[in-house]
Amino acid sequence: MSADPAAPGYAGPGRPVLEVTDLEVHYGLRRRRRRVLQGVSLSVARGETVGVIGETGSGKSTFARAVLGLVHASAGRIRIDGEDVTGYSHRQWRALRRRGVVQYVFQDPLRSLDPDLAIEESLIEPLLVQGVGRAEAVARARRYLARVHLDEDLLRRLPGELSGGQRQRVTVARVLVTEPALIILDEPVSGLDSANRVQVLQILKDLRDSGVALVFISHDLGSVAGVADRIAVLYEGEIVEVAAARTVINAPRHVYTRLLVGSAPTLRSAAADRAGRDALRARLRV
Amino acid sequence: MVRRVLSLVSARIAAGVLFVIVFLAVFGKLLAPQDPLAGGPQQLAGASWHHWLGTDYLGRDVLSRLLEGSRISVLGSVEVALIALVVGAVPGILSVYLGRAFEWLTLRVADTLIALPFLVFAVAVTALLGNGISQAMITVGVLISPLFYRVSRAATLAVARSQYVEAALISGASIGWIVRRHVWVKVLPPIAVALAQTVGIGFVVVSSLTFLGIGVQPPAPTWGGLLASDLRYLHYQPYAPVAPIVLIMATVWGCNQLADAIRDVSGEAGRALLNTRRARVNRVADREPVSVEGGAR
Repeated sequence: MSADPAAPGYAGPGRPVLEVTDLEVHYGLRRRRRRVLQGVSLSVARGETVGVIGETGSGKSTFARAVLGLVHASAGRIRIDGEDVTGYSHRQWRALRRRGVVQYVFQDPLRSLDPDLAIEESLIEPLLVQGVGRAEAVARARRYLARVHLDEDLLRRLPGELSGGQRQRVTVARVLVTEPALIILDEPVSGLDSANRVQVLQILKDLRDSGVALVFISHDLGSVAGVADRIAVLYEGEIVEVAAARTVINAPRHVYTRLLVGSAPTLRSAAADRAGRDALRARLRV
Repeated sequence: MVRRVLSLVSARIAAGVLFVIVFLAVFGKLLAPQDPLAGGPQQLAGASWHHWLGTDYLGRDVLSRLLEGSRISVLGSVEVALIALVVGAVPGILSVYLGRAFEWLTLRVADTLIALPFLVFAVAVTALLGNGISQAMITVGVLISPLFYRVSRAATLAVARSQYVEAALISGASIGWIVRRHVWVKVLPPIAVALAQTVGIGFVVVSSLTFLGIGVQPPAPTWGGLLASDLRYLHYQPYAPVAPIVLIMATVWGCNQLADAIRDVSGEAGRALLNTRRARVNRVADREPVSVEGGAR
């Protein structure tokens, strides 16, 4: 493990929960086979938040799905909580997931909650899968609902009866009930209004402070900048820059990172005008 | 689900009609006023105090034969629907989860079964295995099963790729858990609709087969058999086919109404429909005191 925060293998001050080395993922077969990720290396330590930034199609979600074992890695290694999961079978993945070490928050909270199940049922599902008794599962679900600032009377409601912000906080509570070591969040605030966005980001900061490792995937540098300790910039399936969040925003090295910073209206350093951004885009194409 | 379905007036009427039909199927033999197989001297007689629906061409009491025939007609159609359900829905759901080989195989089998004309095939099977209601119904049930296969597979595919199923998968849920907790609830309404429709189709098939003299050995009565014999003597008794036709139509109508009601109240669209109706009822209830006052003036 490197001591340099700019090195992909650097994993903050704590023990690494996630270590990805030279990850490669391909989609399709034979002539349709195309590379989605190449040589991706990233480590995330306990209590650390790493932002993964990139445009649509850059491979952000594929990276998350590979870490969760939902897509097959063509090459490279993935270690979760010290366990090498690279060649895991379906059965081994299920056993790992059942322990609740790694969890995932989807971008769209409405689609990630079963529309026919009451919130309580969705919240306790990961615990029931683990074999926890119903009474204990419900008690734990209530505890974590309070942690994401939601009232208990929402437990009996259906997902369609909640606001977008409430639903996203429910999905965060659902991943918290298993007390995971690593949470991957795929654009968790992109569909929220500013008030709910601030609330969810504050919950994520509290989580980080409690020692949970977070991977925050987003296309919006502005929403990641305030939460992430480090930021990895993904461009066309490769990590082109990894550095402390402050460094990425104030002194971006790669042309694509500069374009991202210049395009983020919420960042103070986003000084690039339209002509400047066009010049950066032209350099990327070369 | 049952409560939601029965909240619709059409469903309550359909359930009432089907209850009467099932009652006739169970207790028809006991209710029959005369021996349905015993002939009498009065052939093709009209309705009388002794024979409420008249007699057939052998002088047998038509009402007794209708009541006795309810059992075979109802049981036959239910048998067709249940066989089609088990043979079609189970592989339909599993085809999404048990790998490409199983999926390919079941799809090809379903395609083959759809291509076979079930009435002709039922005739061929009964010719091969002997004329009996079970042989005919099993054959028809298997040949109708692709309907359930396609319905359950389509519903499962829609759910299997949803994010909440993926969320359950990430939590370590097994395929069995996902099917029980997430898939089954979503697949059940379209299957229930297909089941109700198939009972209706089963009735028509049983009636058609018995009309052709297949599946049931004469002189055992069925609604379709009665219809067939009535049609032969139409110029003597033009009103005779009315009773079996009404029973067949009422049963098929009841099944279709129930199927429509299940479709209407299932899923999110169903909940929205019921909420709209409830809101309308509440609005009317809120307005009622005003109209009463207005009426008092």
